[in-house]
Amino acid sequence: MKILVCITNVPDTTAKISFTDSDTKFNKAGVTYICGPYDDYALSRAVELKEQSGGTVTVLNVGEADSEQVIRKCLAIGADDAIRVNCEPTDSYFVAQQIAAIASQENYDLILMGRESIDFNGGVVHGLVGEMLGIPSLSPVMKLDIDGKTARITREIEGGKEDIEATLPLVLGCQEPIAEWKIPNMRGIMTARTKPLKVVEPTGDDLTVTRKFELPAPKGAVKMIAADEVEKLVDLLKNEAKVL
Amino acid sequence: MAKQYSRRNLDFLLKEVIQVDQLIKYPYFQDYTPDMFDMVLDTAEEIADKILRPSYIDSDRKQPELINGKTKVHPAVKDYVKAMGDSGMIGAIFPYEDGGQQLPTVIGAANEFIRGAAHNSFVMFTGLTTGTAHLILSFGSEKLKETFASRMITGEWSGTMCLTEPQAGSSLSDVVTTASPQADGSFKIKGQKVFISAGDHDVTGNIINLVLARIDGAPLGTKGISLFVVPKYRADDQGNFSIDNDVVSTGIYHKMGQKATPAMHLTFGDKDDSVGYLVGEPHKGLQYMFQMMNEARLGVGMGATYIASSAYYASLEYAKERPQGRRLNNRNLEEEQTFIINHPDVKRMLLSQKAMVEGCLGLLLECYFWEDMIHASGAKSEEGQRYQMLLDLLTTVAKTYPAESGIKSVNEGLQVFGGYGYTEDFPLEQMARDVRIMSIYEGTTGIHSLNLLGRGITFQGGKAPQLLFAEMIGTIKEAQTHDDLVPYAEKLEKELGRLQKVTMHLLGIAEKGDNEVFLSDANLYMEFFGIVTVAWQWLKQGIVAKTALVTKNPTGDELAFYESKIHTMKFYFHYELVKTLSLSVRLTDPEVLTISNEMQPAI
Ligand SMILES: Cc1cc2nc3c(=O)[nH]c(=O)nc-3n(C[C@H](O)[C@H](O)[C@H](O)COP(=O)(O)OP(=O)(O)OC[C@H]3O[C@@H](n4cnc5c(N)ncnc54)[C@H](O)[C@@H]3O)c2cc1C
Repeated sequence: MKILVCITNVPDTTAKISFTDSDTKFNKAGVTYICGPYDDYALSRAVELKEQSGGTVTVLNVGEADSEQVIRKCLAIGADDAIRVNCEPTDSYFVAQQIAAIASQENYDLILMGRESIDFNGGVVHGLVGEMLGIPSLSPVMKLDIDGKTARITREIEGGKEDIEATLPLVLGCQEPIAEWKIPNMRGIMTARTKPLKVVEPTGDDLTVTRKFELPAPKGAVKMIAADEVEKLVDLLKNEAKVL
Repeated sequence: MAKQYSRRNLDFLLKEVIQVDQLIKYPYFQDYTPDMFDMVLDTAEEIADKILRPSYIDSDRKQPELINGKTKVHPAVKDYVKAMGDSGMIGAIFPYEDGGQQLPTVIGAANEFIRGAAHNSFVMFTGLTTGTAHLILSFGSEKLKETFASRMITGEWSGTMCLTEPQAGSSLSDVVTTASPQADGSFKIKGQKVFISAGDHDVTGNIINLVLARIDGAPLGTKGISLFVVPKYRADDQGNFSIDNDVVSTGIYHKMGQKATPAMHLTFGDKDDSVGYLVGEPHKGLQYMFQMMNEARLGVGMGATYIASSAYYASLEYAKERPQGRRLNNRNLEEEQTFIINHPDVKRMLLSQKAMVEGCLGLLLECYFWEDMIHASGAKSEEGQRYQMLLDLLTTVAKTYPAESGIKSVNEGLQVFGGYGYTEDFPLEQMARDVRIMSIYEGTTGIHSLNLLGRGITFQGGKAPQLLFAEMIGTIKEAQTHDDLVPYAEKLEKELGRLQKVTMHLLGIAEKGDNEVFLSDANLYMEFFGIVTVAWQWLKQGIVAKTALVTKNPTGDELAFYESKIHTMKFYFHYELVKTLSLSVRLTDPEVLTISNEMQPAI
């Protein structure tokens, strides 16, 4: 089985967010980057499937050279090779276009990625890639088993779960508990260095431009009101917070 | 819980001060690239985040229990040991031919620092296994390596070190456990070992005890001690480790801290059926054990430092959030209370912790780096021997000074919390209990101090201290090229001179042949030596920070990081280095008040 796992290189969840270039660019200085946590689940499941029934796992990242540390970590976790499309992953359509272009060159049985990235949280790339390749796309997938050409999938839906059977090839957006996150081991770290990492140039144009980023307003201070002062609370909600 | 250490600081020490990447140019480490070192540290963070941190408090409250001869430990220990085995971290620093990955020990140590800051007690299980496997791999026969070490590296089996006996704690020459030769070349072991960390548990399929014992008829003292592998289960005829090897858990100690690691009283050979296998040659056991003890000693210095790091970050977070009182110049009660971090005394306690943690960590990482340089340049090369001498001299200091100041440092962290620090609502009381062992095991402070003054200083005509002092003078000269650092270079130069003078004074007493007077205040000498050594480390860090400020033009967090380095260096010089004055007064005073004699029998 050939599996393509698309990963994002995103700021660590504890990173301080600030902008440069008149608030049009994210300030990368001092920020630690990680593999998107949902992508990590997708990769872990891909490696498990490979361990169970053989095949290959290729990691794909649409990103600039500074993604390579995270890509190497994915190789250390168990992917066999990697491809980086050398560009800034600015908008979902552009990223999906790059993934579809790579995927159409090989016959992947599965294209896995996280249900969403944790920087822009668009959550649409898997859908777009499915559309571009003309194959089904499902998300968010919590469980995935493969039996020959059939995938048995459990998907989270509003207020419950849905069990689905589908025929490969498929595009899937993954989330927990599809697999246990894998910790890279020493052997993996040693071999990651010699695994192939191919860099290719993007196709098509990025059609969107960021004019300005803005942070949400800082949270105000908390005011504690005693339980027996309901009138005071109503007054504050009306006249100060202006929400009533 | 607050974050427990600073990755930025670890990177600073490894990449900017020690410049660990230079190891890669030596053939021994040529398979590495700098990003691989980062990945090893990332792995430690993952293990810390997912397994260690969440169980730190719970495993303190649910202590190991000895029930019907079997010891049950916290269930998360199993997850931890498995993660360490699966990730290949247990034997990562070993050579390729021994199943390791030739990871620099300095990176291995940084990896342990991250894990230990999250859970200092669980880390003992794997630390002991690495140490015992290393000993078997260094001195054991091929059969012992194949049978035992290979399964320890994977985490399938674990290891212990069994030195201490009821009458032989500090004084290992009094070990009485016996080993009687058998026709098949093995030995029957008989004796008691006490305080054996991870001596029994339900985590691994077998426990491999490395036991110091005397072969029948061996000479008295340290020259008659041999080393044996004594597994909990030994092999049957089919080679399955199914036979109970008569190693009985006679008791479990109820300890003050590090409660997740059981400390066992083990009885060997009560039924005359405990079989041991000799490691290396007879009577060389203690010599072999020293290899492991030296590694373990640096590990104990690290232990104190990572607990102190956790305590520092917890107290820093608390001090930024706890409003109490007003600043000394503000008498306006209408105004809101200030955060306690703004009180000079609290700031002092925080800086004192930071100065201890980062200074001691610098020293410890440098010691590990020297170990790597011995590997890289060859133990017999001139360079290798130079590093070996420095390491031999400073191992005892790098164990003891961080252990003693770690205890003080965690105590300051607790003080920052006020009354809450004394409660179980915050982890400080646990950290204060955990860190207390560091000045006791792997040789007490008293014993290491005797070692430093009685042996380390004079060994080979005092060659090692000469080398160390030359290193320090090199750093002082370099610091003098930065205007802002000149006063600190001068301070260190002065204190180094004072240390040399005190040393000469004490060696003068030694020449008169009265060892008891000579060594009576060895403990204070150790403190003096430790303070000067860590001040040297701080000056090194100051130089790197100053250079970065000038050449890198940092902004934001980076600017704050380097400025804080310089500030903390200054703090160490003004608040710690000055203590050498009172120590030198005491150490050169002819009146001795601590020697027992008939005229002055009691206190
Ligand atoms: C939690 C814990 C875990 C341990 N784990 C292990 C383990 O895994 N394996 C193992 O073998 N041991 C272990 N030990 C034992 C430990 O190494 C000893 O406790 C330690 O070496 C001190 O020995 P002792 O307790 O007999 O104290 P003693 O040797 O009786 O020392 C008591 C005091 O006297 C001082 N003293 C003793 N002799 C001298 C001297 N000649 N000159 C000056 N001062 C002296 C000491 O500094 C100390 O202050 C552990 C101990 C503890 C508490």
